[in-house]
Amino acid sequence: MSLVQKGRGITLVGLALLGGVYVRALAFTPVERLQGPAQKIYYLHVPAAIWTETAIIMVGLAGAFYLFLGDRRLDLFAQASAEVGTVFATIVLTTGPIWGKPIWGTWWTWDARLTSMLLLFFLYLGYLLMRGAVRDPALAARYGAVLGICGACLVPFIHFSVYFFPTLHPQPIVLKPSTPSLPGSMLTTFLSSFAVFTLLYVGFVTQRYAIGREKELGEAGSHA
Amino acid sequence: MPEVPQNAAYMVAAYVVAAVILLLYTVTLWLRGQKPPRFPPPPPAPRPPRS
Repeated sequence: MSLVQKGRGITLVGLALLGGVYVRALAFTPVERLQGPAQKIYYLHVPAAIWTETAIIMVGLAGAFYLFLGDRRLDLFAQASAEVGTVFATIVLTTGPIWGKPIWGTWWTWDARLTSMLLLFFLYLGYLLMRGAVRDPALAARYGAVLGICGACLVPFIHFSVYFFPTLHPQPIVLKPSTPSLPGSMLTTFLSSFAVFTLLYVGFVTQRYAIGREKELGEAGSHA
Repeated sequence: MPEVPQNAAYMVAAYVVAAVILLLYTVTLWLRGQKPPRFPPPPPAPRPPRS
């Protein structure tokens, strides 16, 4: 079984389990009394946000190691993680405003958390555009590594921005020093969704990495 | 006791949008993985001239 097929398998399992999470979240998880059904957007928005941030940390780590070791596989992994991070960031930046409209009364506000997440999305886009624009693979990998490290440095700022600045965005209720503030059934739904997003990240990155590797080997073969 | 807000349409919209994004990316990766063989078959060797 090739790496692409393994990635596809993991992705398909992830999508099937995501269907299960949808059923659990929509039909079997209680409705929050103050926010109503819109609170259930949390079960998609937060896991996607966690993996958006984790993906850029992976890009930064892979980039830093690439600068020292020069291993092409690290750069391929960084590219894959950046692309998947962009997809998850798109989910965060669409589901967030859909939640914000009924709860805050506005689709968007320029507070620190939202603005820094938008900045990360633009950084992802810049990374992907740069990878397409720079023809020299070694140069593109070096530029990418620097962008990835910059993006990874942005993550603590995004996470702690709700503590440092007065924001409309709620403070973390699971990823915080004290115990999670979610009731048991809601926490189970959240953790299930987080596990599924983890599986989707692994499946997507595996596929994207394998496609990049095949492309490189193909180009090397055609130049030989 | 306050009434529970009726905003299920927003919830449905968010779940649909997330599913569409994930499915579109899955299809994109699937299509990009369906590449032609890495090395094209060599052209047929020319026939040797008849002597």
